[in-house]
Amino acid sequence: MSYIEVNSLKKDFVVKKKREKGKLLREKETVNALKGVSFSVEKGELVGYIGPNGAGKSTTVKILSGILTPDGGEVKVGGIVPWKERKKHVKNIGVVFGQRSQLWWDVPIIDSYNLLKDIYRIPQKDYEERLKELTEALQLEPIMRTPLRLTSLGQRMRAELCGSLLHRPELLFLDEPTIGLDAVSKLSLREFLKWENREHGTTIMLTTHDMEDIEALCSRVMVLGHGKKLFDGKLSDLLERYDTVRNVHVKFSSEYPNLKLPEGVEWQKGEDGIVLSYKPSKLPTAKLLSILQDAGNISELMLQPENTDHMIAAMYKELDL
Amino acid sequence: MNTLRLYIKSIGMLLRSHLQYTSSFIMQTLAQLVMEGGEMMVVILIVDRFENLKGWSGGNLYFFFGMMSVSFYLTELFGRGITGDFPSMVRTGKLDTFLVRPRGVLTQVMCSGTDPRRITCIAVGIAALIMGSRLSGITWTLTKVFILIESIAMSCLLILGLFMIEAIFSIFSVKSVELVNAITYGGRSACQYPIDIYPAPMRALFTVIAPFALTLHVPVSWILDKPLYGWPMWTAFVTPLSGALIFVIMTILFHLAMRHYRSTGS
Repeated sequence: MSYIEVNSLKKDFVVKKKREKGKLLREKETVNALKGVSFSVEKGELVGYIGPNGAGKSTTVKILSGILTPDGGEVKVGGIVPWKERKKHVKNIGVVFGQRSQLWWDVPIIDSYNLLKDIYRIPQKDYEERLKELTEALQLEPIMRTPLRLTSLGQRMRAELCGSLLHRPELLFLDEPTIGLDAVSKLSLREFLKWENREHGTTIMLTTHDMEDIEALCSRVMVLGHGKKLFDGKLSDLLERYDTVRNVHVKFSSEYPNLKLPEGVEWQKGEDGIVLSYKPSKLPTAKLLSILQDAGNISELMLQPENTDHMIAAMYKELDL
Repeated sequence: MNTLRLYIKSIGMLLRSHLQYTSSFIMQTLAQLVMEGGEMMVVILIVDRFENLKGWSGGNLYFFFGMMSVSFYLTELFGRGITGDFPSMVRTGKLDTFLVRPRGVLTQVMCSGTDPRRITCIAVGIAALIMGSRLSGITWTLTKVFILIESIAMSCLLILGLFMIEAIFSIFSVKSVELVNAITYGGRSACQYPIDIYPAPMRALFTVIAPFALTLHVPVSWILDKPLYGWPMWTAFVTPLSGALIFVIMTILFHLAMRHYRSTGS
């Protein structure tokens, strides 16, 4: 049996609509946030969980962490049903919400950790050891005595991570951990997560919109859309499937020429010049270039694959998300 | 005992964070003093005008007022998580962070709110109690002190229980809390006077639904050596327990409601 077992997980939300004129009661609408999602995760895996807004990512994480009770399906994490034995379950997990803080806002960070020690009933010696280790790994020393509200977003994220790992959880959930972080902070955060995973075998599940997070961290990626699992496998496999479009940025030195483009090539006007997107499988690159050359004097030309975000966008579009 | 230690430590930390904004804290505390002092003035004016109210002397009125002030604001001081901050905990998703920790939700809610500005209100209440006691000529015995403490403690539990109705509503993201305010804040304003000055429906409301009459008026009448609305003397010891009963019922309902908690989007 795997560490995390999820079987046809279902969750509905009842949304009350605004009351229409002339009607006494508000209409209700049931939204199926999850329509039977199944997957399993082994211990020590680093799994990325992606999908457009409202796909049900956070709902899954909330069910797995015991915050929500599902409407159907089975979940077991290390043999425990999260919402049935909440206290026992959450002892073994850490959760970081990108957009809400778990530490105390107005007090020095170290005081928050001291309180977490009591909340999780961590033995003093164990706590000191772990705190020292995390302080070094996350470079928290300079801000330990600073109230959380005076720290930068990057510092705060590191502090949150430390707080969620003090009790040595087996499983760490990260809900959009890099949201709003600058490049340096993102990189060091990813380094840390890899380190924690390697050093302690912590299973990590993260939801994100940042494809670079997935590229840098996750060996496995799950795509969720409309409450269903659409893909589960390696990121490279996912990208191969959708890496079919190339972009050409062209700038002509003369007037904009009248282009006769073959079918299948789409073009749009960029800031200067035009951007053509085409599928190399249908139209060889050399042929497109010769068409462009015939059309006029090219002053600049740049050929590039679509970036990951575009590929994901194309995928969402194809899957009608 | 571990839970109690956690509570004390949490509240200590919250107090320190309140004191981070010193001048704002002092101003607000003084504002509370003016507010509660104003309430006290109303009672003083009534006493000045009427001398007695349905057989209750001025001193008696001060004593009732003091009991209510002390009970209500002690609850606000130590149970702010329930009496004020809970709806925003639901809205901001703070409740989610409680659920991922291995402690009771209610414990953590209690641990995350205190309103130290209320100390001035409690001070006014204590002043009223002392005034009331002097003017009514109460001779204090150990039993009377015991009943006084029991009455205050049980009234606190009752008030917490009543505010938990509001909390339960907000778990279901229902915003109509005015109805609940009628028995919490309304209860405080109404029940700081002797209950028998009100017409029957009001008396019923505050005996059956929000039993301030049982947790406060019956034992206070006993302390003031007044007849207990026709009930035998021993009831003064028993009726306040209804506060604990309400609290227990509401705690159970709260936990049932938490099963339907649906969190907020992120």
